[in-house]
Amino acid sequence: MHNRIRELRAKQDLSQLELAQRVGVRRETIVFLEKGKYNPSLRLAHDIAKLFGLPIEEVFLFDDEVLEA
Amino acid sequence: MKRTIITFVVSALVLATLALWVLKGHFSGNTQEILQAAVVIVLVGFAVFLGVSRLRSHLRREPSEDELSRKVMTRASSLAYYISIYLWLFIMYISDKTSLATHSLVGAGILGMAVIFFVCWLGVKAFGTKNA
Repeated sequence: MHNRIRELRAKQDLSQLELAQRVGVRRETIVFLEKGKYNPSLRLAHDIAKLFGLPIEEVFLFDDEVLEA
Repeated sequence: MKRTIITFVVSALVLATLALWVLKGHFSGNTQEILQAAVVIVLVGFAVFLGVSRLRSHLRREPSEDELSRKVMTRASSLAYYISIYLWLFIMYISDKTSLATHSLVGAGILGMAVIFFVCWLGVKAFGTKNA
């Protein structure tokens, strides 16, 4: 699974720590997500997408969707 | 924070007990006792490491535990369990071929389990954990 967290975070000028604090996880979790080492729970994915004001499918993309794009 | 403090207090008490054991002259330095001390030191070291990590999270106003840290612990535990089965199988195999006493072998097994868990935990932290 791929995600656009790094890109969206940069657009909103948010640090990893700020994003982590806003969605209630540790900074390490954001690092893992951005590196693609961890797939979040539905709850966390929802919270992150909501924070960026986007639907989940625009923040988190499955590998086949990335290939199609 | 409460869990972090408890981790440090328990670690300090265990280390103090170990120090008393050594200083009071009950530690003779044979293989079995070295293994027992090693088990204690490895376990306390890991607990202190986790405690420091939680403390740093607390200072950064992050939760001390979240879904990733719980998942890492679960994954590391399950991996360590699988590997430990083979460790005990190996210990059973060598038990007939070695002069080590049963309690020394059990001590070695427990130390091995602690080390295996620590290595698994490091591995899961390094490579991540996906649901794929």
